[in-house]
Amino acid sequence: MEGSSSHSSDANPSPSAALEFLSNLPSRGLFSSTVISSNPGGMRVYICDHDSCPPEDQYIKTNQQNILIRSLMLNKHKGDSGSKEGTESSRKRAGEKIIDTRASAKRTNGQVNSRQEGSNSQTSTRERDLQSLTVERLRALLKAKGLPPKGKKDELIARLRNANG
Amino acid sequence: MSIWNYVVTAHKPTAVFHSCVGNFTSPQDLNLIIAKCTRIEIHLLTPQGLQPMLDVPIYGRIATVELFRPHGEAQDFLFIATERYKFCVLQWDPETSELITRAMGDVSDRIGRPSDNGQIGIIDPDCRLIGLHLYDGLFKVIPFDSRGQLKEAFNIRLEELQVLDIKFLYGCPKPTIVVLYQDNKDARHVKTYEVALKDKDFVEGPWSQNNLDNGAEILIPVPPPLCGVLIIGEETIVYCSANAFKAIPIKQSNTRAYGRIDPDGSRYLLGDITGLLSLLVITHEREKVTGLKIETLGETSIPSTISYLDNAFVYIGSSVGDSQLIKLNLQPDARGSYVEVLERYVNLGPIVDLCVVDLERQGQGQVVTCSGAFKDGSLRIVRNGIGINEQASVELQGIKGMWSLRSSTDDPFDTFLVVSFISETRILAMNLEDELEETEIEGFNSQVQTLFCHDAIHNQLVQVTSSTVRLVSSTTRELRHEWHAPSGYSVNVATANATQVLLATGGGHLVYLEIGDGILTEIKHAQLDNEISCLDINPIGENPNYSHLAVVGMWTDISVKIFSLPDLNLITQEHLGGEIIPRSVLLCTFEGISYLLCALGDGHLINFLLNTSTGELADRKKVSLGTQPITLRTFSSKSATHVFAASDRPTVIYSSNKKLLYSNVNLKEVSHMCPFNSAAFPDSLAIAKEGELTIGTIDDIQKLHIRSIPLGEHARRICHQEQSRTFGIICLKYNQTSTEESEMHFVRLLDDQTFECVSSCQLDAFEHACSIISCSFSDDNNVYYCVGTAYVLPEESEPTKGRILVFIVEDGKLQLIAEKETKGAVYSLNAFNGKLLAAINQKIQLYKWMLRDDGTRELQSECGHHGHILALYVQTRGDFIIVGDLMKSISLLIYKHEEGAIEERARDYNANWMSAVEILDDDIYLGAENYYNLFTVRKNSEGATDEERGRLEVVGEYHLGEFVNRFRHGSLVMRLPDSEVGQIPTVIFGTINGVIGVIASLPHEQYVFLEKLQSNLRKVIKGVGGLSHEQWRSFNSEKRQVDARNFLDGDLIESFLDLNRSKMDEISKAMSVSVEELCKRVEELTRLH
Repeated sequence: MEGSSSHSSDANPSPSAALEFLSNLPSRGLFSSTVISSNPGGMRVYICDHDSCPPEDQYIKTNQQNILIRSLMLNKHKGDSGSKEGTESSRKRAGEKIIDTRASAKRTNGQVNSRQEGSNSQTSTRERDLQSLTVERLRALLKAKGLPPKGKKDELIARLRNANG
Repeated sequence: MSIWNYVVTAHKPTAVFHSCVGNFTSPQDLNLIIAKCTRIEIHLLTPQGLQPMLDVPIYGRIATVELFRPHGEAQDFLFIATERYKFCVLQWDPETSELITRAMGDVSDRIGRPSDNGQIGIIDPDCRLIGLHLYDGLFKVIPFDSRGQLKEAFNIRLEELQVLDIKFLYGCPKPTIVVLYQDNKDARHVKTYEVALKDKDFVEGPWSQNNLDNGAEILIPVPPPLCGVLIIGEETIVYCSANAFKAIPIKQSNTRAYGRIDPDGSRYLLGDITGLLSLLVITHEREKVTGLKIETLGETSIPSTISYLDNAFVYIGSSVGDSQLIKLNLQPDARGSYVEVLERYVNLGPIVDLCVVDLERQGQGQVVTCSGAFKDGSLRIVRNGIGINEQASVELQGIKGMWSLRSSTDDPFDTFLVVSFISETRILAMNLEDELEETEIEGFNSQVQTLFCHDAIHNQLVQVTSSTVRLVSSTTRELRHEWHAPSGYSVNVATANATQVLLATGGGHLVYLEIGDGILTEIKHAQLDNEISCLDINPIGENPNYSHLAVVGMWTDISVKIFSLPDLNLITQEHLGGEIIPRSVLLCTFEGISYLLCALGDGHLINFLLNTSTGELADRKKVSLGTQPITLRTFSSKSATHVFAASDRPTVIYSSNKKLLYSNVNLKEVSHMCPFNSAAFPDSLAIAKEGELTIGTIDDIQKLHIRSIPLGEHARRICHQEQSRTFGIICLKYNQTSTEESEMHFVRLLDDQTFECVSSCQLDAFEHACSIISCSFSDDNNVYYCVGTAYVLPEESEPTKGRILVFIVEDGKLQLIAEKETKGAVYSLNAFNGKLLAAINQKIQLYKWMLRDDGTRELQSECGHHGHILALYVQTRGDFIIVGDLMKSISLLIYKHEEGAIEERARDYNANWMSAVEILDDDIYLGAENYYNLFTVRKNSEGATDEERGRLEVVGEYHLGEFVNRFRHGSLVMRLPDSEVGQIPTVIFGTINGVIGVIASLPHEQYVFLEKLQSNLRKVIKGVGGLSHEQWRSFNSEKRQVDARNFLDGDLIESFLDLNRSKMDEISKAMSVSVEELCKRVEELTRLH
């Protein structure tokens, strides 16, 4: 570690040094008696024989909303582009397959998640998006762009990516 | 024992983990709040020192405690979070002296990995939110609204998984946390985040600092005007803020705790693992930090918390040694230390091992614990009852009574000790050499037995004999006046104070005299129906020399009567019931409350509340103190009045929290006692017992007495050897030189009276001692110490080599007789059928003690049993062996003599990580595990199938909330064979927080009764902060949570006695049992510990 270590601590501090630092310790007039007494032991044990429930609205629970859903909602509110894409893709997928809503939500989360993780690199996001699509869907996209729909999935993705530039 | 168990604390937790200072009980009061695992202690800071206020039980293990001041409040609130993810905010109501729950909640998450480095709970200095780090990767926020009310909590994802510390920064416009964390390459960094409350998310903070000291563990936020944070490492201390970075190297140390001195945050106290206290100073010019300085101040206990109190006084809370109150002096003492230890608060934690012994052979157990760790390691001798420190004694047979007298009315000290015998009276006095020698008071009649003596006003003494009352001058020692009993009547009993004499003659005559200057005046005479057995006129009113009440105990109708003085009018009459006559009555006042104590001939004591103006008696209670007639006397110790009840089981009666308590005195049989406060023996008592007169001082009046034997090293196991009157302990000593840490392991022999180390044996390098027992073998009359060890090599994950060492004590020295190498750590040793049973890693191994041809002995392996993960704890009974496994709960093995084999009989299939096991009886076994639970299992010998018989059935479960290290059969109290409680078998346990507890097996009928009482008490006694008792006591481990069963919470049940009358009535009504009966049954239970 570097830094301004102007003073190194001695193994044996000179008494005067500590003396200086120990002066003017804060005092509010307590512990001022010359005879400091304390009587341990004789401490009253507290018995709580009254109602100890908190006021009704002060029974605190944790917001059960998933952190990711929350951030998603937040982004949606802000209306930034990232969230639009996310919803778009989910709409597409929903249109394609009839899946129960929960699963769809989960998968959407997964997508958003991956997007957040790799948010600094737009291309990788695109690639992942493509990776997540089915071969059939990729073929449809290729057809739409007028490209040959044959080959393995990786080839299809490469073709699409090239086409997108 | 049985499956119906009653768990009660005999010694409360003493290990301190947290403390804080603030204005809690009122805006003007400054309080020190101390958290001791399951209890919160509130102290008041006064000019005279620390004044204890309240001890608050909490239904949870306290994880964090913080004082904070919400907006618009005049005093601080207390935030408490428990390890089971509950929290509460408490406020003190000074009007009612009650704790009010302002908020509470559950902060658990269903998914989440509990953080390894413990729970963190912090409060924003500007009181905008509470932050909690409970699970890895999650930061929980409980926001405050503008009125200081808490709102719904939410989680924020925290990228840093290995968090070491989190603190809020001061002086930030948005609440900002600073996180100290370790990355996956083990490097440590700090990072800051702003908490965006609206978005419920983090925003990158103003600064971060990478690659800190590898030992950095503590963050200290610095308050305004400086702001920023101090990062305490092992080799450097760094000050960091958005615009400054300062660092200083320090001598390598592992800092455990810090305490801020100045409100502006320029000075801090740091305490390290060796107990060294240092002062850290931030030097600054105005608001600009110019550097750091550190100075060593001196040595304290190893701290877990440091709180600066006031005026250079500091509280050092410790979990491995005694907590302390220290003063920082400007001038160093002779050893160069600025630290002055003013007070030590006893801490037994961590209790690593304990044994129950009866050193004084009085039939009463004492517990000797291995307590503390590192340099604060010690042995503690814990016993119930009050000790008498004998200072002088003489042989004197047949003492019938004793009184002390002063040589003049104003003399603060007693001079004479009057000892009465059947046909003479002897007077002892202190001579010039401070020796007790026989003397004479000429005016006294020493040819007859004295019935009573007392100092009287006007420098006079009073002696009552069977025929006369003599008034003697204490200066000339000559008789001044004499009152004669009417002829034909002799005085049977008498009493007196400084101005009055009350005596009773045969035929039920009661005579009242008053003492004047040189004259005794008979004022009043009364004839009662029956003979008088005892009387008392101890002044308890405003006048210390004159009593307005006289109490008289009666033969035949077995009653006590209260008369007014001087006119001897009968005010109250109370029949005692039964056939046992009262033998001693006493009027006394404790803590401003007047009582009438009445002792019976069979060792019972009845006490009443006494209304001194009307003479009315109320609130009758009966307790059994012994079996023989009791004589009552008052005495004072440390300026408080107590009552000594002399009998076959002498007892001191005292009052605490306006409740009468009975503490037995560690003496066998006392016939008479009188206070004897002489110049040579100040504050002493003269005690007549078994042909002996003893003068001694009395211990502090407390229930449990703890004596400390500091060792300066960490004792890990202890056992007692009756024959050699020694303790065998194994301990380790840490050696910290400037560069290296090393530890050495020893077997030591201590004298069981002086606790001096008489012999020791150092083990090899890397060799750890794991177990020690005292045992003997078949065909050998000697008694040995056997020690099990393990070679703990840094490159091995589990030890693969160990030894069993057999020592004999010869001439007070440990002599190694035999040793046997083992293939692993010897975690446990037991004497077993004249052989030695060892638990070695996964294996249980039985060794025979064989005689070799050359006459020497050796251990020879006989048989064993595999199949454990690590067999850590072993107990045996007959041929049965109980094994507590590292993670496979309890299993039951049996040794078959014919086949010479050990086989598994049954096991508990739950995955419990054991910390201690004990056998309660043939069929029921008790276990304690890693998540602070207790459970009992039962052998099922009647099972129909092999499968059923092979299963240990779980019959009892309970959350103790304490980590038990050792169970031992035994009792802390003297067991009276005649009392009901004397029949109840008990087990004592010791825990990490210094708790000594008792588990008592109850008869079923009593269990059912008390369970009903417990459930009724739950309705009346609420958990502080709204925490539920039922939930707290439910068995709770990582995987399982079930309600407690077959265990009762004795602490809750015994708090019945502290309830006020109306609440008692409420419970009595619900139970349909009278309050008296409930009190009696609960009071009986309190005598278990």
